[in-house]
This record gives sequence, C-alpha cells and structure tokens, in this order.
Amino acid sequence: MAILDRVRDPGERTLAVVLLAPAFALLALIVVYPIGRIIYQSFFDARLSGGHGHRFVGLDNYRIAFHDTEFWTATWHTVAITLITVPAALVVGLGLALLANLPFRRRWPVRLALLLPWAMPLAFAGLIFAWFFHTEYGIVNDVVRRLGAGGEPTMWLLRPGWAFAAVCVTIVWKTSSFMALILLAGLTMIPRSLYEAAEVDGASHFQQFREITLPMLMPSIVVALIFRTITALQTFDIPYTMTRGGPADATETLAMLIHKTTIDYLDVGYGSTLAVAMFVLSLAVTTVYLRRLARTP
Amino acid sequence: MSPAARVATGLPANPLAGRGLRLAAAAIVVVNGFFPAVWILLTSLKTETELVRKPITYWPRNLTLDNYLRAFTDQPLLRFLGNSLAVALASTALSLVVAALAAYAIARLNLRRRQLILTAIVASSMFPLVTLLVPIFETMRALNLLNTYTALVLPYTVLNLPVCTLVLASFFEGIPRDLENAAMIDGCTRVGALWRVVVPLAAPGVFTAGILAFVNAWDEFLLALSLNANASMRTLPVGITLYQGEFTFPWPTISAALVVAIVPIAVLIALFQERVVGGLTQGGMKG
Amino acid sequence: MQRFRLAFAALACAALAIAAVAPVANAATTLRVFSGGANQRPDLMRKLFDQYEAAHPGIKIDIETGGATSELQRQYLSTVLNAKDSAIDIYMIDIVNPAQYFGAGWLEPLDAYIGKADAVMKPYLPVYLQADVVDGKVAAMPGFADAMFMYYRKDLLERYHIAEPKTWDELAAASKTIQAGEKNPNLQGLSIQGAPIEGAVCTFLLPYWSQGREFNDASGKMTLDKTAAVKGLDKWLAMVDQGVIKRNVAEVKTPDTVNEFKAGQVIFAINWGFAWDRFQADKDSTVQGKVGVMPLPAMAGGKSATCVGGWQWAVSAFSKNKAEAAKLVQFLATPASSKFLAIEGSLLPTYQGVYVDPDVVKAVPWFKDAANVVIAGKNRPMSRDYGQVSDVIRTTTSAVLARSRTPEEGVAEIQSKLARVMR
Repeated sequence: MAILDRVRDPGERTLAVVLLAPAFALLALIVVYPIGRIIYQSFFDARLSGGHGHRFVGLDNYRIAFHDTEFWTATWHTVAITLITVPAALVVGLGLALLANLPFRRRWPVRLALLLPWAMPLAFAGLIFAWFFHTEYGIVNDVVRRLGAGGEPTMWLLRPGWAFAAVCVTIVWKTSSFMALILLAGLTMIPRSLYEAAEVDGASHFQQFREITLPMLMPSIVVALIFRTITALQTFDIPYTMTRGGPADATETLAMLIHKTTIDYLDVGYGSTLAVAMFVLSLAVTTVYLRRLARTP
Repeated sequence: MSPAARVATGLPANPLAGRGLRLAAAAIVVVNGFFPAVWILLTSLKTETELVRKPITYWPRNLTLDNYLRAFTDQPLLRFLGNSLAVALASTALSLVVAALAAYAIARLNLRRRQLILTAIVASSMFPLVTLLVPIFETMRALNLLNTYTALVLPYTVLNLPVCTLVLASFFEGIPRDLENAAMIDGCTRVGALWRVVVPLAAPGVFTAGILAFVNAWDEFLLALSLNANASMRTLPVGITLYQGEFTFPWPTISAALVVAIVPIAVLIALFQERVVGGLTQGGMKG
Repeated sequence: MQRFRLAFAALACAALAIAAVAPVANAATTLRVFSGGANQRPDLMRKLFDQYEAAHPGIKIDIETGGATSELQRQYLSTVLNAKDSAIDIYMIDIVNPAQYFGAGWLEPLDAYIGKADAVMKPYLPVYLQADVVDGKVAAMPGFADAMFMYYRKDLLERYHIAEPKTWDELAAASKTIQAGEKNPNLQGLSIQGAPIEGAVCTFLLPYWSQGREFNDASGKMTLDKTAAVKGLDKWLAMVDQGVIKRNVAEVKTPDTVNEFKAGQVIFAINWGFAWDRFQADKDSTVQGKVGVMPLPAMAGGKSATCVGGWQWAVSAFSKNKAEAAKLVQFLATPASSKFLAIEGSLLPTYQGVYVDPDVVKAVPWFKDAANVVIAGKNRPMSRDYGQVSDVIRTTTSAVLARSRTPEEGVAEIQSKLARVMR
C-alpha cells in the first residue's frame, strides 16, 4: 500500500495496470499453464494405461465427444441441475437474506443458521444427506413412518427420479447460504432514507420490495448468480458422495464424467476435451451475465 | 407495524414483516440450518452399533465422549485445524487485497476492455479442478513449494479471486463518488482514498467476500490431498477422511471431528459478523 | 471503522507471516514409501521397515500414509505419478492396479533386480502370477492377501440344526428357516454389497464364477457367458424377493454389512478378511464367539469361488533409488514378512505355506479355515483398463440390484461396453 501511495495520482491507464497487475500475475503463475495444457492435451490421444503413447489426433476427441451418449447425458443432467438449483437457491437465499436482515433482538441464531450449511465441507454435506435419505437409517423415512404412512419405505436414492430430486434438494440446501451471504451484504448497503421516503409516499411493503429492494439488490444478485451458475455447472461432490452418479447414470454430471475419465480411466486426452467442453458451456452462460455487469458504469 | 412507526425506526421494507410470519420463517431457517449440524453433534455422542438400530434413534442411548477422545488421539486433529486455519486465513487476506485492487480498477476506472478483463478473471474458475491438478502440482514442485502452506495459499487465492473481485466491484460501484472525491480533495491519493474511504464503506461486501474466500479455502479437498501429502501438513478436510478406512466408515468419530472442525468456525464468523458488520453498517450507510 | 481496519490489518499480517517449510534434506539413501491408509496397517509396515533399517545401515525409510480408501489413494497417486514425481520410491497398491499402472509406464519392471517372472512368482498363491506379472514382466510383488469370505452365525445354524450350505439355494432355504424361527423382522438372511463401490464388482462375479464360468481368458480377452451372468444376477434378485437379502441392497456398502452383522442382524454375510476381527474383537460386537467362516456357496452344478484382493509393493519408474527400492520390496514380500504381518495384524498371507505355519495357526486360528477359501480365489478381470472394467461392472450391477435395469439389460451393457476394452 505504502509503495502505491508514493505513486501520486498516476494516469488512469497506469493506475489500471498497477491495480490489475497483482491479480493477473497470480493468474499467470497458477492457472495459465494448466489451462494451456488442458487445451493442448485435448488434441491428443493420451490414454495413459493403454500404452498408446501421446499421439496427435487433431479434433478426434471432440468428434468422439459429439457422438458420445454418456457425454450428452451427463451434460443434460448438469444443465438440468443448473436450471433447477440456481433459481431455487436464489429464491431460498433471498428469503434467508431478508429474514437475517430483520431487526431480531438476537440476530445470531438466524445468521448462524445461514452460515452452518456453508461451513459444512461439501463432501460431508453429501454424505450426511445421503444418510438422511437412506431407506432404513434416514430421517426422511423415519418422519414418513411417524406420520403414519404405511407400506414399504421409499428407496429415495435408488429410484432415478427421486435420486435426482434428492441431489437437487441437497445442493439447494448447501448453496442457498452462499446466495444469502452475498444478498445480505447487498441489503445492508441500501440506504434507509429510500424506504423512509417511500413510507411517506404511502407505498406498501410489497411495492417497496419491488421498487427499491429488488433494483438496488440487482448487482449483488447478478454476482451471486454468476458464481452459483459456474459452480452448478461444475457440480461434483454432492452427487458423487450421495449416489456415485447412480442408479446407473441417472445423476452423473459432466464434472463426474471428467473426474472418472481422468482419474479412473486415466484417459487424459479425452478428459481434457470434456473439460474444454465444460469451459465453453460455462463461458457461454456467464457471458450473458458479464455483459450486463460490464455495462453498468 | 404502522407506517409512522416504520418511519421512526427507519427499517427497510420487507415482505416478511408480519411478526408471526417472521418468527415462523425464522424458526424454519434455524431448524433447516442447524439440523444437519445438530445431527452430527448427536451422532458424535453415539456408539457405532447404535447407528444400525431400527427404528433409528435421535437422542443417544448410551451417551459417550469416546468419539472425541478417538478423534483427537487417532489423528493429529489440532494440527489439521492449525494448518487449515493458517492456509485459509492467509489466502483470504491475500485474495482480499489483490481482489480489492482489481475490483477498484473495474468499478471506478474508465477501462475500455472491461468485459474482457472481467471474463479473463472469471474464466479461470470455469475449468474443473480435477483437470488442473497435475499441472498445478508440477508448478508447485518446480517452485519447490510442495508440502508448504504457500502451495495451497497461492492456488486458493487464485480460485477465490473471481468471486472476491466481483463481489467487491459490485459494492465499490454502490459507493457515491463524492465521498471519494472529498477524500482526495483532503489530500489523499487515489489509492489512499480506496484504502481509507471506499474499502471501509464497502465493509459488508469486504466481509462477505472474506467469508466466502475463507470457507472456500477451508473446504477445499482435491488440491490439499495432492499438494500437501506430508502428514504434518494436511488440512482438515483431508485429515477427516483419514478416520475412515478402506472398509470402515466410523460416523461417530468422523462426526466428532466434524463438530470440532465446523462449529467453532461458524460460531466465530457469526459473532464476528454480528458485532463488526452490524456495527459498521449502522455507522456507515445512514444514507 | 477502526475495528474493521484493525481486523483487516491483522488478516494481512497473517498472510505475510506464512513461511515456507523447507523439505527435509537427504542424508544416506532415504527410501520414501507410500504405504496406504489405516486399513493397510502403516503401523505394522513401520515395524517391518525398522527391521530392514536395522539390517541395512545406510538405508533410511520414510513412510507416507495416503488417503484412507483406495479411491482417495488412486486420486492422489494418479496426480503424483502423472506428474512423474520422483519423491516416492515405493508404492503399496491395490491388487487391481499393477496392470493399469504398469501400462501407464509408472512402475519399474523388477525382473532385472529380482529375477524372471515365472520363477519369482512360483512360491506365492497362484493368483499373483496373473495380478503382478504384466506383459511377462514383474510389475509388483505381493504384500498381503485379502479375499471375500462367507461369514455366518454358527450359533443360529446350530440352533436350527442346519449344516453349512453348499449352494445358493440351500443358503436361501437355511435363511428362511432361521428367519421364520427367530421372528425378528430385522434379521437378514444374507448381506452383500450392492452400492456402486469396488465390492460390487465381486458381487457381480461371485454367482457368475460359482457356475464354473470365467469372465476372461489368460490373455485378458473377455469370455462373458451372458446367460450365466443373467442367471447370477437373477439369483440375487430372487433372494431379494424371498426376503433373504434386503430390498435396499443397492445402498449397502462394506461397512454396512459389518455393522449389521456385528449388531446381530445378519445370518450370512459376504465381506473382506478384516471383518473377522471386527466381529470377534470389537467391544460393541454382539456376535463374539458366534461367527463361522465357510467357502462361498456355488450354483447347483458349479463350484465355489471367491474374489481375491490384497495389496502389492511396486517400485516407481521415476524413483532415483530403484535398486535399493527393489531390494526392500523383495524383503517385504518374503515368507518371513508375510508371517510377521499374519501374526501381528491378522493380514492374510501370500504364501500357501504360511497359512499352516504353527506360529500363525496359534496366533490366528481362523486362518486354517481361510486358507482353502483364498487358495480357491480368483482375480477380478485384470486389465490395463481396469478403471473402465470396474466402473462398468459395479455401476451396472448396482443399477440391476436397484431394479432400474433388468439383468438382461445390465449384462448386455457390460458386454457391449467392455468388449471394446477387453480384447
């Protein structure tokens, strides 16, 4: 900081370079080489254990992916999880944030409730929820039984539809905290005078929410959505620990397929190709958001 | 609450304003947020055979603290905790500083290629970590950093950079330029104004970014597993998996370790947030 | 504002205070050994290393324990080896991995240090010739064995005057009799692992093998008999319908079987060798002294077979001390080491002779029952592409047991996906 202080009021351009330099230096050090390598390897047949060596195959891996039904199934699951859990987490997260922002005498129970899911390590969150949905030892079925529903207990994680739903519920539980944290911070930045003025004008609570809260919160919402979307497209730990992608491939996501291809199949070339595909998908989706962000002055 | 009372207290309007509704909603949130943690706490007091009891039990039948004893004696849990704390704190601080500078440039300066810069920063988080693993390992080995805190601090900082930068940028944008200009008239440099005016006013954003970065670093598993394989350098998420075995998954002991790992952190953050952020915003944004 | 700035400054200081921990410097020859997770008993391995260090001055052995499960170990090893890391000299790897890792060029062939494959592998149990020899080269050496055993409740079988069942049908009938007599709704007849974990590969193979069929020939080519495979899976499903195996079998993992058997809720259980000690020695076990081990039942007209597991020692192709490492591996694979591990840790021997060694029998009496089971054991389909083989078989088997695929669909899927890989 002191060093920067000494550069007294440099021009906009110099200042921009100085301010952005640390960030880009770190990016260059840590991720530029790995990303370059992924892209490079995606053009090679690099099946490690087959003894095929490292052979340049051009776009073959991409052609294979295009005809690979498992890739499309996993992509579809990933997109479906994104379309379901991102809006759901936004709604739940917004509710949580509004609630946490209310003037309770003690705010910590609500704030802690908001933080705990976020603080639970991802892999263990998946394991704990898999336990909750377990046919015999899960509380979901225990509650169903106590409510007096007869018949055989439902095998939540063994039925494709239910397993998918259970995975989505867990993701929403875990990620709405993240949403809420960002939105809560956004809420605290809205000047109260706006509401006071609206009160005087006789605006209803709902009108105030629609006319003041939502628009003022938009930048935070966009930021939260960008990252929730990127992480949703990378969904891995929760389905991996809850269902292993099963039954069969009913809950297999793109990130799980990449993990399996790279770590279990040792097919580094094809794994890289799939990673590039995921990158393109993420980039396409987030560009829409980013354009909006970049436009605001 | 009547409109008059509302003006008097100056509360933000909120669709969840009815008292009964509010308490009910709060109750749901608290149960929803606490339940898995409480479940883990209860499990940590049970024996392993109690877990296969049918129907399941909620309150432990034979209350036991053995699991905590085992959690601390089977593995160096405190060491894991210390490692995680060091790595998470350092990378949080580093991410905040680096991100604050970048965010200021994005939010305040007249950049011609804003979207490109934003995309470049965010794009780094669009590759699945598992494919970045080997090259990051090679980089750290080349820098002779394997099995050091730095080996994790640097990648974690980079992984957190996108979210921190965007959160901070969106908050910086919300701060009136007049305040900053006033500080500059008072003799501050631009960077000085960033440090003395913009960052403090954006405190809720800074803390949010900090919490996000901290928890991300606290949670990370894949890199921690591969880059710091020395027993003394392991972090908590990796350490906790060591309680399980090839064929065993002792939930009670693992639960005890999880309780030790998450509860104090979550409580600390919540208290911190209530005290510091709560106090700050009341002072900062009277508007 | 002040408080905030202080906190921020404190965080920044924490960042600056982080210092690099320098790697330990080498003195004499230091061999670094990756010795698995807790179940692979690094504590016992350490004792073996101590013996070796005492006999070989100038050699120092460092131990590195990895992720606790073979899955986490795979994750770690694939990173380290893919990066051609020379830090680790010797790896302890799962029996299914030598072919894959050798194929990737990660393991040093040991022939030059130890001898020709046939001669080297002769004294060991027959399964190792296939598991540890890849392309005619010694890729790894046997550390200790494991196998799937059929554990059963001796007391219950005696109470109902039932002999050890020889076929799956006899086992189902015995279970029904005992379940009816005990009137305990939570008592399962048979517990197998149906979750998509590595054990489910064995769950698929056991009833198939027990019809006298092979999954692959000696060259690794797939020889799947689809009818027999369907019949095997049908056998499990029939037992589910009869109430012998529980409905949610596709959720059952290895520890579930162990814990339920320990709690007295299971009559017959298929599980790895480690389970014996859990049943007999754990404080919270309700079945101490009531457990028997028998050969796995066969399909009528077939023959009993089980799945062999266990752990191998291999020298890294990137090691800078290959000769010294090979010597240590040779020591770790001697009958004396095998005997030590059997007596101290009830780890199953890799030599037939050690099972009947008087000291071993005295220390671990159940090994005399175990010997025949292990000797009749078979390897899972060893292949350079075992990652795919395992994934396809376990995922499909689990889906069939969850009834989201029929046995016919499942077997057709295995056939079509693996025909390309195993040729």
